[in-house]
Amino acid sequence: MKRGPYPAGPEDDSRGNLQEEALEEEEVRDEKEGSPEYPFGPRVAGEEGTAARLVRAVGRGPLHAVIIGISILWMVPALGLLVSSFRERQAITRTGWWEAFTTPTEFTIQNYQDVLTGQGMGTAFINSVIITVPATILTVMVAALAAYAFAWMPLPGRNWWFLLVVALMVVPLQLTLIPVLRLFADLGLTGTYWGIWLAHAAYGLPLGVFLLRNFFVALPKDLLESAFLEGASHTTAFFRIVLPLSVPSLAALGIFQFLWVWNDLLIALVYLGGTRDVAPMTVVISNLVSSFGTEWHLLTAAAFVSVILPLTIFFALQRYFVQGLLAGAVKG
Amino acid sequence: MARVFYENVYKRWKETVAVKDFTLEIADKEFLVLVGPSGSGKSTALRLLAGLDSISDGKIYIGDRVINNVAPKDRDIAMVFQTYALYPHMSVHDNVGFGLKLRKMPKDQIHEKVLQAAQVLGIEPLLDRKPGQLSGGQRQRVALARAIVREPKVFLLDEPLSNLDAKLRVQTRAEISKLHQRLGTTFIYVTHDQVEAMTMATQIAVMNFGVIQQVGTPQFLYDHPTNVFVAGFIGSPSMNFFEVTVSGDADQVCLVADSGMSLPVPAKKRRALEKYRDKKIVFGIRPEDIHDPDFVPPDTEVAPLDTAVEVTELMGNEVFLHLTHGENNFLARVDPRTAAQPGSKMELMVGMDNMHAFDPESEQTIFSPEEEEPESPRQPKRSPATGVAEGAWITSRESAAPGSAQPEAEEEGKVELDKLAKEEAVTEQVAKPRGVPKDQADQD
Repeated sequence: MKRGPYPAGPEDDSRGNLQEEALEEEEVRDEKEGSPEYPFGPRVAGEEGTAARLVRAVGRGPLHAVIIGISILWMVPALGLLVSSFRERQAITRTGWWEAFTTPTEFTIQNYQDVLTGQGMGTAFINSVIITVPATILTVMVAALAAYAFAWMPLPGRNWWFLLVVALMVVPLQLTLIPVLRLFADLGLTGTYWGIWLAHAAYGLPLGVFLLRNFFVALPKDLLESAFLEGASHTTAFFRIVLPLSVPSLAALGIFQFLWVWNDLLIALVYLGGTRDVAPMTVVISNLVSSFGTEWHLLTAAAFVSVILPLTIFFALQRYFVQGLLAGAVKG
Repeated sequence: MARVFYENVYKRWKETVAVKDFTLEIADKEFLVLVGPSGSGKSTALRLLAGLDSISDGKIYIGDRVINNVAPKDRDIAMVFQTYALYPHMSVHDNVGFGLKLRKMPKDQIHEKVLQAAQVLGIEPLLDRKPGQLSGGQRQRVALARAIVREPKVFLLDEPLSNLDAKLRVQTRAEISKLHQRLGTTFIYVTHDQVEAMTMATQIAVMNFGVIQQVGTPQFLYDHPTNVFVAGFIGSPSMNFFEVTVSGDADQVCLVADSGMSLPVPAKKRRALEKYRDKKIVFGIRPEDIHDPDFVPPDTEVAPLDTAVEVTELMGNEVFLHLTHGENNFLARVDPRTAAQPGSKMELMVGMDNMHAFDPESEQTIFSPEEEEPESPRQPKRSPATGVAEGAWITSRESAAPGSAQPEAEEEGKVELDKLAKEEAVTEQVAKPRGVPKDQADQD
């Protein structure tokens, strides 16, 4: 299944951080083999991460130059888009966005007003939230439960089932459109929020189960065994031990799924239909393109409206995002 | 408070056998230490009792109840893990009280019990902290507190000291022993460190390759190891072994080797060696039974042995001599006033009273404690399946059924052991466990 492009910032900016976190995970895993270090204590001094070794080998200067270069390459077009969204229609067609700074009077918020009221972006924003939030919560919840079972509950052929789930990740989403649509038609789910929530959850689950299962498996075995000895059931162990210790990976999956649903156009278009009252922002924006082929001032403003929420969430939780993503993924 | 009994227990992983025909009775209030090298199946044996692994074959009893199919939480046991397994997101208070909370105990009662347990282990000031903010020793205490707070029938400890530094280990060792005396509960303790076994246990079970090699009190295992493995494993530095030939006649039996060694065997040991005349045996002697000729303890029957001194290690109260004789390298532990110098040749005295001898094929001991004490009525029993010597310290299978007359047999064994110990004390000036130097833990 193909996923939309995610903001690329952290990949470049925080690679060092990323890999150090991965190393910390490594320690947690060692714990399972009976390493004497306590998994959640402070890191032992004197250890060196991959990032640190890389820095030493290459030297700080060139590394920084590359990182800054890549960041600029990514940031400049985005900045252009942002500036353009505040310029008047004529100005956009006449001159490049960088000339806006020489004639500051050109700036206006008219574009945003037009987009939010005239083009229905306001309603679409709310629709997007209504679609995205439950779809995300549903995915994380079900994925966590399934991942716990795959990681800690004895089940005949458990690893084969897990492999099957992982294999689902490579099934192209488009392949499922027609069968699922027919199923939804039979169940009366087409054009309803329930339909799209279920569809998003289902498409998000293979990756979610994969990520979380690998994180859960890496939790020290002794912790769960100790809990079982003290009288914990699987339910207790899941809610009292596993979930609290897995907040980073849960947050990572949550952000992942949120962005994917938020940016999705195809599934919304197919399962929800394009009608105004239910259409999310992606649908509205794509309509803008077709009906106002050259209306750059509206398009840029709409694009930024749609990006505000994910950006806010991302910056608020980026620590978890970076940490948790590798947490699950490194362990294969 | 309960007796634990393993009856012919097996644990098989797909192709390997982790625990083989494991039969062991642990009396109420016993402190049993399961000791063996890594991979010997000792931890598996403990996990079978805890219910963390399933039993492939055989039965395990706690009290009179077979617990094979009882859920871990209903077995009335508590376990301290090697990694302590504290819940990192909970405070110490909640860690200790977790099990009680799951048993739906009212909050104020939990608080009371947690405080009591914390008091016993001296961790009251830490109750509000998270495990991440504690030192290794403190975590260890929290783990112990969490185990005792539930007042289980049996405590299981899986290498609880292996993550502590040497000094703390010695200290905690004593504290765990104290805890055992105070609680009067059955303790089962797994370790690979024979020093921990010797110092803490009331009974030791030595394991290797998933099989119990020998069971007995620390002193008994030290004095009468049943095979080469136990002899080498118990005691530190470990026993020296030489391959020798038994020669001589009824009046004069000598252990000879090509290197020029010729050690006369004391009269009371001769009988057992008769059937090995002109055959090879493995001769074992502990480093502390090799003496400097100037400082031989009185009433010791000694035999001279020419050696070359390679290295001397002064430990303060004693000196370790690294020696060679022929092709053999071995170790002696002698009086610190010794004149031995590295690189010199020296004649040392071997205390033949404490010699050990093993069959080179089976590696089993040639002497049995009973044979050395002709007045003893008991004859050694040997289990054909495992080769484990079944004295009074391990239950024979028939008499092991729950509620049998086991305690008497045990009493008898104890009496005999006391007798042995007394005789030891007479012949030896060093009466207390010789195998356990104080500085032992620092050497690991």
